[in-house]
Amino acid sequence: MQDRLDRARRAAGALENHVADEFLAGRLSRRDLLRHASRIGMGTALIGALAGASPARATRTGKPGATIRVAAQMPAGAIEPLTVSESGGVMMLCQTGEFLILSASDLSLKPMLALSWKPNADGSVWTFSLRPGVKFHNGHIFTAADVVATMDRLCDPKQGSNALSVMRGVLSPGGTKKIDDLTVRFELEAPNGNFPYFVCSENYNAIMLPADYGGDFEKNFNGTGPFRLDRYTQKVGASFVRNPTYWGQPALPDRTEFSFYTDQQAEILALEDDQVDVIWQISVQGAQGLIRDPDVKIIDIPAATHREVHMRCDAGPLADRRVRQAIALTLDRPGLIHGLFRGLAKPGNDSPFAPIYPSTDPTVPQRVKDLGKARELMHAAGHADGIDVTLTTERLQEIPDYAVLLQNACADIGVRLTLKIEDEAAYYGAAQPGRSDWLDSEMGITDYGHRGVPNVSLGAPLCSNGAWNAAHFYNPTYDKLVATYVAALDLHTQRDAARQIQTLLLEETPVIIAYFYDFLVATGPTVTGVNVGAISQLFLQDAAIG
Amino acid sequence: MSVLEAPIAQPAVWRMPRMVARLLQSPGFLVGFGILLFWAICAVFGPSLVPYSPYRDDLMNALAPPSAAHWFGTDQIGRDIFSRIIAGARPILSVAPAATLLATVCGTTLGLIAGYAGGWVDNVLSRLIEVILALPLIVVALLVLVALGPSSINVMVVIALVFTPIIARTVRSAVLSECALDYMAAAQLRDEGALHIMFVEILPNILPPILVEVTVRLGYAIFTIASLSFLGFGIQPPSPDWGLAIAENYGLIVGGYWWTVGFAAMATASLVIGVNLLAEGLQSALSS
Amino acid sequence: MNARLLAKRLTLSAITLLLLSAVVFAAGQLLPGDVGRSILGPLADARAVAALNHQLGTDQPALTMYLHWLGNLLRGDMGQSYAFRSPVAPFIGHALLKSLALAAMAAVIVVPTAIAAGVFAALRVGSWQDRLITLGGLSLTIVPEFVSGIILILILGVWLRWLPISANTRPGTGVMEQARHLILPALPLVLLLFGYIARIARAGMLDALESDYTRTARLKGISPSQVLLRHVLRNALLPTITVVATQTSYLIGGLVVVETLFRYQGIGSLILTAARDKDFPMLEAGILVVGAAYVLSNVVADLLIGVLDPRVAMSRR
Repeated sequence: MQDRLDRARRAAGALENHVADEFLAGRLSRRDLLRHASRIGMGTALIGALAGASPARATRTGKPGATIRVAAQMPAGAIEPLTVSESGGVMMLCQTGEFLILSASDLSLKPMLALSWKPNADGSVWTFSLRPGVKFHNGHIFTAADVVATMDRLCDPKQGSNALSVMRGVLSPGGTKKIDDLTVRFELEAPNGNFPYFVCSENYNAIMLPADYGGDFEKNFNGTGPFRLDRYTQKVGASFVRNPTYWGQPALPDRTEFSFYTDQQAEILALEDDQVDVIWQISVQGAQGLIRDPDVKIIDIPAATHREVHMRCDAGPLADRRVRQAIALTLDRPGLIHGLFRGLAKPGNDSPFAPIYPSTDPTVPQRVKDLGKARELMHAAGHADGIDVTLTTERLQEIPDYAVLLQNACADIGVRLTLKIEDEAAYYGAAQPGRSDWLDSEMGITDYGHRGVPNVSLGAPLCSNGAWNAAHFYNPTYDKLVATYVAALDLHTQRDAARQIQTLLLEETPVIIAYFYDFLVATGPTVTGVNVGAISQLFLQDAAIG
Repeated sequence: MSVLEAPIAQPAVWRMPRMVARLLQSPGFLVGFGILLFWAICAVFGPSLVPYSPYRDDLMNALAPPSAAHWFGTDQIGRDIFSRIIAGARPILSVAPAATLLATVCGTTLGLIAGYAGGWVDNVLSRLIEVILALPLIVVALLVLVALGPSSINVMVVIALVFTPIIARTVRSAVLSECALDYMAAAQLRDEGALHIMFVEILPNILPPILVEVTVRLGYAIFTIASLSFLGFGIQPPSPDWGLAIAENYGLIVGGYWWTVGFAAMATASLVIGVNLLAEGLQSALSS
Repeated sequence: MNARLLAKRLTLSAITLLLLSAVVFAAGQLLPGDVGRSILGPLADARAVAALNHQLGTDQPALTMYLHWLGNLLRGDMGQSYAFRSPVAPFIGHALLKSLALAAMAAVIVVPTAIAAGVFAALRVGSWQDRLITLGGLSLTIVPEFVSGIILILILGVWLRWLPISANTRPGTGVMEQARHLILPALPLVLLLFGYIARIARAGMLDALESDYTRTARLKGISPSQVLLRHVLRNALLPTITVVATQTSYLIGGLVVVETLFRYQGIGSLILTAARDKDFPMLEAGILVVGAAYVLSNVVADLLIGVLDPRVAMSRR
């Protein structure tokens, strides 16, 4: 056993050995080991030796041949991989399209169209080796040329892809180079320890397309996945059939059928009437009865989806950080989680570091409700008579209720909130300072979707040059810490930077993040094998009924 | 008898005492008046008399069914629904009458001008009115609110905008009938100015139909504002407005949480029916 | 009405529609947000938004866009939806069909019921049944559709389980089953229209019962029930057609509240979604279609009345 481990360690690089050290010293759990190992592309021999047994290939227990019927959210626009930006479209893309790497629900990275990946010494160049023998549904053979073309398209400003917001500062056109038919090299704009996450399924626009792709995805859904398109009707639904030339294990179901819905209630009725087998996403608020129904299986995936309550740090009564801290101290976070989410959420500590991230430092003390301290802070800041603040936000799911709860909580310390609740489009406006209620407001609540790493949530909303910095938070120490975190390849540096960031954000409190809520999928009682991707994608190749 | 000596007709409003007596005998009118009075009292005094604050949340008790502690149950963040129903009379009964009044003032003025002036002024105004009425009112209201953003003030303005043409049309017809009467010719021969004729001579005589129209429009104002609140474009959270309550909770019906919307629905229904009965009674009394 | 009058009516209608399209286009320019951003989402990169706006041609001046659109329309092309990148016409057609189906279901239920009630009330004028029908019907016309809808859903759908709550069915469901799903959504509309139609039918019936030609028919020896059927009902139908025609604008485009409550994708919801998404071609086309339906139905109603009204018909002989 020890021999095996020694041999594997000798063959591995400095980075992998560092992760091995952390694990052997007990500072890394087995789950976190797998996540970090997958991130840096650690070889399976070393993983196996460390974890004591090879990571088991999940055995499929279901019967093949089922037809899986899904109630899905209606896509809001055309199914064009470059521009899809909402959950309905995202769901459609991942049915037939595949990524270089799959981000699983436990945040570990699994090879999909890429077999392995390795960084250079400082993480500015990553080399990926691709899976051989992969064919697109139209017969075209997948090679590095397709990867180069796809990635160039995604980060080219002239193409106007939705992925630009993710790739900015990371990769630019021409940075992806073909080494040979099955090897690709990414030359990044700056060192990035989390780069594999940027080409995984979380970057939902990054499905691999043929080099000669001409913008007609909606007609044929041409991809490399385990299903191919049978039929797509806008605003009605889609159906897919098993792909016989798939590179991996053939899909279990014969067929999958998606019906598009615009509301939760109709989906719930459909599940109860046995018209569908799976409801792709349910919210606790809309599905109270369903969650307690013994005949319904709920798949509960902890996620990093959250609401960010920003407070203007550069002007107005909230510029004094004592006031911001006081407001953060009025919230009964466990109460919120119980009342709004029936317990299906995790507490937030006012930073983007969600409990599910391995780099989150759990030793930083959790902020709790403390009205006494809050009132003290208000007095110290000179606001014994209270202040008036306008809270602007969007009408989305539970956010209006959260705003009301916040209003009531703040009233206890003399902070009088006036609520301004708008349509999503009106709230975001042109998303430029001066032309957006979101970025110009004194205080607001914004929705942030799940991501496998906190990079994006650390950067754009809170860095001095961040495009989404509604809190107008300008703190050079913070910017330096985030740069350190992003570039860090080894876990120790990441954790260290995380701890400092978390502590700084608790001190300054530019934002309140009170909860991270779980992603929920509802299925009929006999449905098995439904795999949920971290960014709320649905993979059905292992699904079966009964 | 020469035209100059023709008696000026008695304005209808001087026949009031008889009308009031008739109204008090009409059961429809009395029931409607009673309902409206009840909700008006709730609007003015309600929020200070209710057992719980309509705004205080109680997350541990969210979505509780009706019980002794909470007569109408609690909503999705634990607020007492009975208190919110009583308090909810105020938002609707502040915005609706204001909007109706605004529409009446504008519509009456426009109608007087169109009816009295005639000719191309009348033509242009009538065509404009027809264009606005070619679309369902709720669609016009929605489009304007999507542009302006929802708020109680904007709703009031939009309702006034949408009702003005209707009132203008009614007033115009009434004016046209009046113009045919003798006293009008007498007034013109006496060289009274147009403004004087419109507002001093005609207006008092067409008050009865205007009054009926206003009461009917009030009912429709309540109807439209409630619908706009239901669609999310009317009165905004955390107001205890009934339409808003239904918008926030109708998705829960399927899960069995009927009390979150049932009471608000019945409150709205009772208010609109009450106003309508009042309008009906008024119309019968004034037309006989 | 003769051909010249018809032509004049149609021309006036066309002008009204043109005015309508210009007004809506101008109003659309005032909507907040921008097209590219609506499609790509609020957090999209500014360069991506600019590129998309350029691709869609939305960065041109408003007048150019309007004239371009108008030109296409006159050639029969309703344009491409900004959000779906595909022709607008099928979406409009599909939504219109759904709205028409709902309106038809409401009409099928309310017209016979209300006329029967109105006739019944007229035959028993002054009685308590008459007062109940008149006052009751009138009270119901003012109840907002979502209020009566909620109460009906609770009673008929949730407690008694007589009718399905969802208005939508899976594709491939039979016509009868689809119709069954439309009953509950149609009921609020029925309640809304019942009072009007009943009152007008009642008034028309009362008039007809006392009119000359009824007495003449009776004197000629035609039996009472035959009189009822042939002469009187025909006259009661006339006002009903007028009511239905004037309510068409509401019935086709104004159902947005019922559509929202029952999540039914009719043309009202389509217009609302298009306004929210700043999807101009869809919005413009939807509004024009609704306006055209109203204008057309008025013309058709006038024609029908011309044919059915015995006084008009007789004067032509």
